[in-house]
Formats: sequence, structure tokens, C-alpha cells
Amino acid sequence: MRAAVLICLKDLRARLRDRSALLLGIVVPLGLAFIFNSIFSGISGNSKVISLGVVSLDRGAVAQQFTGQVLGAVGKSGLIAVHREHTVAGARALVARGTLNAVIVIPADFSARVQANRPASMQVIGNVDAPISAGIARSIAERYASDLNRIRLSVATVVHGRSQGTPSPGTIRALAARAAAAAAPVAVSDVSAKSKELDQKSFFAAGMAVFFLFFTVQFGVTSLLEERNDGTLARLLAAPISRASILGGKLLTSFLLGVISMTVLVVATSLLFGASWGNPAGVAVLVVAAVLAAMGIMALIATLARNAEQAANWQAVVAVVLGLLGGTFFPVSQAPGILSRLTLVAPQAWFLRGLGDLRGGDLSAVWVPALAMLGIAVVVGGIAMTRLRHMAEV
Amino acid sequence: MKALWIAATNLRRMFRVRTNYFFVFVFPMALILVLGATFGGSSTPRLGVVAQRSGPLGAALVRQLERTPHLRVVPVADPAALLTQVQRGSLAAGLVIPARYDAAIRAGQGVTIRYMARPDQSSQQLGETVRGAVAQQAALLGAARFAVTERSASSFSAALAAAARVSPAVPSVAVTETTAGTALFSRTLGQFDQGAWTELLLFLFLISLTGAVALIETRRLGLSRRMLATPTSPGTVIAGETLGRVLIAVIQAVVIILGSALLFGVNWGQPAGVAAVVILFALVGAGAGILLGTLFRTEQQAVGVSLLLGLGLGALGGCMVPLEVFSPTMKQVAHLTPQAWANDAFTQLVGHHAAITAILPQLGILAAYAAVLLALATWRLRRVLVA
Repeated sequence: MRAAVLICLKDLRARLRDRSALLLGIVVPLGLAFIFNSIFSGISGNSKVISLGVVSLDRGAVAQQFTGQVLGAVGKSGLIAVHREHTVAGARALVARGTLNAVIVIPADFSARVQANRPASMQVIGNVDAPISAGIARSIAERYASDLNRIRLSVATVVHGRSQGTPSPGTIRALAARAAAAAAPVAVSDVSAKSKELDQKSFFAAGMAVFFLFFTVQFGVTSLLEERNDGTLARLLAAPISRASILGGKLLTSFLLGVISMTVLVVATSLLFGASWGNPAGVAVLVVAAVLAAMGIMALIATLARNAEQAANWQAVVAVVLGLLGGTFFPVSQAPGILSRLTLVAPQAWFLRGLGDLRGGDLSAVWVPALAMLGIAVVVGGIAMTRLRHMAEV
Repeated sequence: MKALWIAATNLRRMFRVRTNYFFVFVFPMALILVLGATFGGSSTPRLGVVAQRSGPLGAALVRQLERTPHLRVVPVADPAALLTQVQRGSLAAGLVIPARYDAAIRAGQGVTIRYMARPDQSSQQLGETVRGAVAQQAALLGAARFAVTERSASSFSAALAAAARVSPAVPSVAVTETTAGTALFSRTLGQFDQGAWTELLLFLFLISLTGAVALIETRRLGLSRRMLATPTSPGTVIAGETLGRVLIAVIQAVVIILGSALLFGVNWGQPAGVAAVVILFALVGAGAGILLGTLFRTEQQAVGVSLLLGLGLGALGGCMVPLEVFSPTMKQVAHLTPQAWANDAFTQLVGHHAAITAILPQLGILAAYAAVLLALATWRLRRVLVA
């Protein structure tokens, strides 16, 4: 045990001295998270109020009901800001510049046409780069148009069904009034789903941390290969130290490097740019599980390699592929089909999912992702351990 | 001539390591594929819809939603799975059309559809789109129900059939949509185009920077000392090292450009323009890689710094998110990187099918970067080699 600790301390000192662990474990992920965050903070992602303009050239009742009641209700939600504009040209210019995302134009004869049962139309002008906002503006206008169409169609269907010749204008007006008052057959109710998404700052912090974790933990196990090449392994084995102690020391180095670098990154990203990782106990469970999973995978690859250089190359390939699949750079879970399911072979995906679930739920949410990572650690690490015993031979 | 041999040795050392094929060719191509598949084209919000056993009218509502522009309908099996996917952000929002939707409407009952959204605004705003589609279907359903209450039809199904028959003859209130403004992105860009050139630039630079690692190895193994012990001037060694790095970058670029054109149908535009950008950018990368190799002592340090600089400058230069969406300040900062200028050049070449003459300013700036970096690298390398 004492020998294991001594080997571990020796390795840790060596890593601190050549600064490589410090660089890959802390400086690079922190720097990249900072760069990504400063680029993306200028880009509004999921939280943007839609600026919707409305130009009503019509003073009639039908137009006023739309601008007053319908848009009034839309504006109250706080999701869409409604601005009244006076001229079509002025509003179009604002849309072209992007000041408004879209504008709804009601032509001068709209109310008159609707009341006279003639074809009528509203116009939506959307900014060319805001198709989704423009689509939402169109949906708002279409909802009102559909309601007007419902009344027209209601009257037409009843008149058609009665087949008593053309009814008087009075009868039609009465029918239209009753149709307008009828309740809509389908209602839409809102269910709010608690978000289990990481916000941008936390996503970049967590993504970079777990991506580089796979590089940080390789220092411990791979050094066994270095010791073998340098001939120091033979000397260690000649000394009265058990093979288990040597392996234990190397694994302890990996574990400590992983846990320390992750802890520093959690604290630093929280303090420096306000990443919120969530409940510390939950984060601790996820970090330990992720470190163990990363160690298992990296150790297995080290046992397959002939020398330290080859191990480092293969480890880099695996760490990069799993990092990409695990969604550390961008959310692969949004990819279509098989790709979104393939993401779960990567411990990185479970780590990020665990943090997201922790954010949207309570502490118990971390168990499934943590167990998934521990499962990977046990299976892959188990295979690695049986092979590692052979490695500690000269 | 000797410089050519040194360059050839550089190439051999690079491609003797099998894993390098992965980072130089395979991984960039895989990223182009994944990025194109995930984000290529427009980012249409995905609406998850549960419509199990909702009957013909439920299916009709799903079709109505599928016809709605700027919306992609994703079928989901049950409400619990839908909730999880919405919460995790893999779907923009969700809609649950109840089982027996069809039967309840035909029986004259009021039906409620549940719309699931996260607290973020884009998720909530999509509710308007859903309500618009529901209202369009409700026009027909409402008319049928009205006919039943007015006793002009014997049953709901008969009334629905009558309403559908009458519908085309009824003058409708319509909504037309037009756009205003000039598009930030070229409309002719293919699904994989932007991903292809941004990943090309990202990996050209990243691999060039790892030239630093090779250079440190050259010095550690004493190769440079042995070369200088022969009648070879430091100038020849430097020329050879630079040529080697440029050749590696050009081979990488040719493979990625041809590969993405063949596999993903990327239209790269005028070959002369593309060649000019690639060669100048390869020179910039070679200069940066060699300079970096003279500043650090161990290979591990060089790996860390080249990852940070390669990915960091790449992100800053618009290789991960397009420059078009940067804030004005960030856009200015971005143009301190050579990547931003090369990205601008490719936007013209690929996006607007411009000729080489349209990208002369960008080429000039890339040439200036290359000149300054190569001059610095030569000066430093001479000192390191002779020392």
C-alpha cells in the first residue's frame, strides 16, 4: 500500500514538473470553454423574444378584433413583442434590417371583404434569415383566418344542408353570429416541461471538462509502458514491491489526476464564467463515475499497445471519437436516426445527460447515468485489469 | 534538392504512423458527415407528436402539422418518452393528441390536446405554430359540429362530409407570406457545403500545428544536429521542414476536397480560387507549426498548446459556428485569425460561386499572415538549430 502511494506521488510530481497534465487537464479545457462561451454568448440561442410588427390599413371591426384581441393576447405571453407600425414601406424596411422579425399587414378592404363573404387575405412579410419567426407570425395570422373560415364554412354547410333555396341576408347574419359564438371543438392546453438541458455556459464547461478528462487519465496507466521502455519497471519488480502495488500506484495516479482536474474545472468555470453545474453531491457522483469509466477505457487501450507512443496515438483516436459521439462539442442527440442512439455508448454522453437530469430533477436523477458509467468502467476496466497483470511483466 | 529530401522524410514520418490517417483524413470527413446530417440545411424545429389510437381525425391533424412550413414532425410512441425528449432538448416541443380523439369529436365532446414546451422561449413560441395548424383543422370540424347543432345534418360524419364538399366553393380568408432583406447565407449552399470548408480549415490548421510536435521530436532525436553536421546549411533544413509541412497540408486538403465532393456532393467552386486559398492557408499553418515547435521543449507541451490554439482559433475564426451569426464585436475579434479570412474566401467561392478575382483581398491578407509567420519561424528555427 505504502509502495503504491509512493509510486503515485512520484508520478504526480513528474506530471506537475513537465506541465503536460496541467496543460491538458486544466489549461486547454478551460481556455476552450472560455473561447466557445464568448463566441456563443453573442448568439442568442433559445431565448429570444420575437419582434412582430403589425400594420393595419383597415379600421373595420374584423381588423380591429385581430389587432386588439388576438394580438393583445399574443403579446401578453411575453414571448412575442407586438409593435404597431403605420406604413407598409416603413415596416418592410424594419423587417429587412432585422429590427422586426416579421410584420403582419392587414389591407384596407379586409373587414369589408370578410363581411361581404368575398375572398380576403392578410400578408406576412418575414425577415429572410428568420424563417421560424416568420412561420410563427404566419401561424398567428392563419389561426385568425381559420376562425373566420370556420364561420363561413359553418354557414355554408348549414345552408347547403337545408336546401330550401337561398336564405335571406338576415337569416345568414343570424347563422354567422351563432357560428361565431360556438366553442372550438379542439382546445390546446399548455404543459410545461421542466428543462433538463444544460445552459450554454455549463454545457461548454462540462463538455470540455469531460472531453479532456480522457486525455488526463491516460497519464497514469500509460506510464507503465514508459517505465517498461525505460527499464525502470524491471527495477521496480526486482524490489520487494508486489505487482499489485505497482498497478495500484499507477491507477491511483490516473484517478487522482482525473478527480483533481475535474474539481478544478468545476470550481474555476463556476467562478470565472458562471457555469452552474448543479447539486455538488450529484456532480461529485457523476465526476467519480466518469473518471472511472475514462480510466477503464484508456487502460484497456494502453494494454493493447506495444509502446507508450502507440498507446497515446490510439487513446487520442478513441477519446476524440467518443468525445464527438458523446456530444461534448455539439449535441449529437439531435442527430437523426441511429446516430442519436449511438451516442449512449460514450460515457461522455451519460455524464452530460446526468448533469442535465440533475438540473431538471432531484439528486436521484444521477443514479442511472452514474450506474451506466460505472457499468462501462467495470466491464471495460475488468478486461483491462486481466491484461494489465501481463503488462507488469518485463 | 536536399530540401526536397528533408520534405519527403517529413511526409514519410507523418504517414508511417497509422493513426495519423485517422486525424488527417478520416476524422474531418466524419465530422463533415455528422455536422451535415445534424445541422445541414435550415434548422427546422422538431415537434414530437404522440397520436396513438387517435383515429382518422387524429391522423388528419398530424398531416396538417406535417404540411405546416418550418416544422418537422417526429412521431413518438408515448407521452412519457415525449416528455423526456422535450426536457432533454432533443425535440423543440411536443404534442399529445389523445387516444379516441376521433371518437370524442364525432360524439360532439370537447377535446383537449396537450402541448409540451420547455421554459425557454423558442420552445414556447412554437405553440403558436401548433395552434395555427389545429385551428385550420378545427375550421372543418367546427363547421360540421355547427351543422349538427343546427339540425341540418343527421350525424357528425354526414355533416363532416358535407362541410368537406362545400369547402372548396366557399371564398376563403387566406394568409400570404413573403420575405424581405438580403440573406446572410447563400441560398444555394448544399447540406454539407459549409461544414466541408470549415472542417477543412479547422483540420488543416490543427494538423499543421502538430508539425510542432514533429519538429521537437526531430531535435530530441538529434536529427537536426546530424543534418547540420553534413554539408547542409540551416537555410536548406528550414526550407525542407517548411516544404514538408506544406506538402502534408496540401495532400490533406486534396483528399478532403475530392472526398467531400465525391461522397457528399460538395461543390467547391472555381479550382484556381480554392487552390490559392488552400496553398496560402497551408503556408500560414506551416509557419505557425514551426514557430510553435521552436517555442516548446517537450512534445506533450506542444500537443496541448496546438490543441488549444488549433481548436480555439478555429472556433474564433468561424470554423465551428459561421461568422455570419457572430455579434459585430466578436466578428471584428474573429478577423484577427487567418481562419476568418479563409472562411470569408470560401463563403465567396462556394456560397456565391465567385472567381479568384473576388477574393483577392482575403488572399492578400492570408499571404501577409504566411509571410510574417514564416519569417518569424525561420528566424527562431535558425537560432534553435544553430544554438
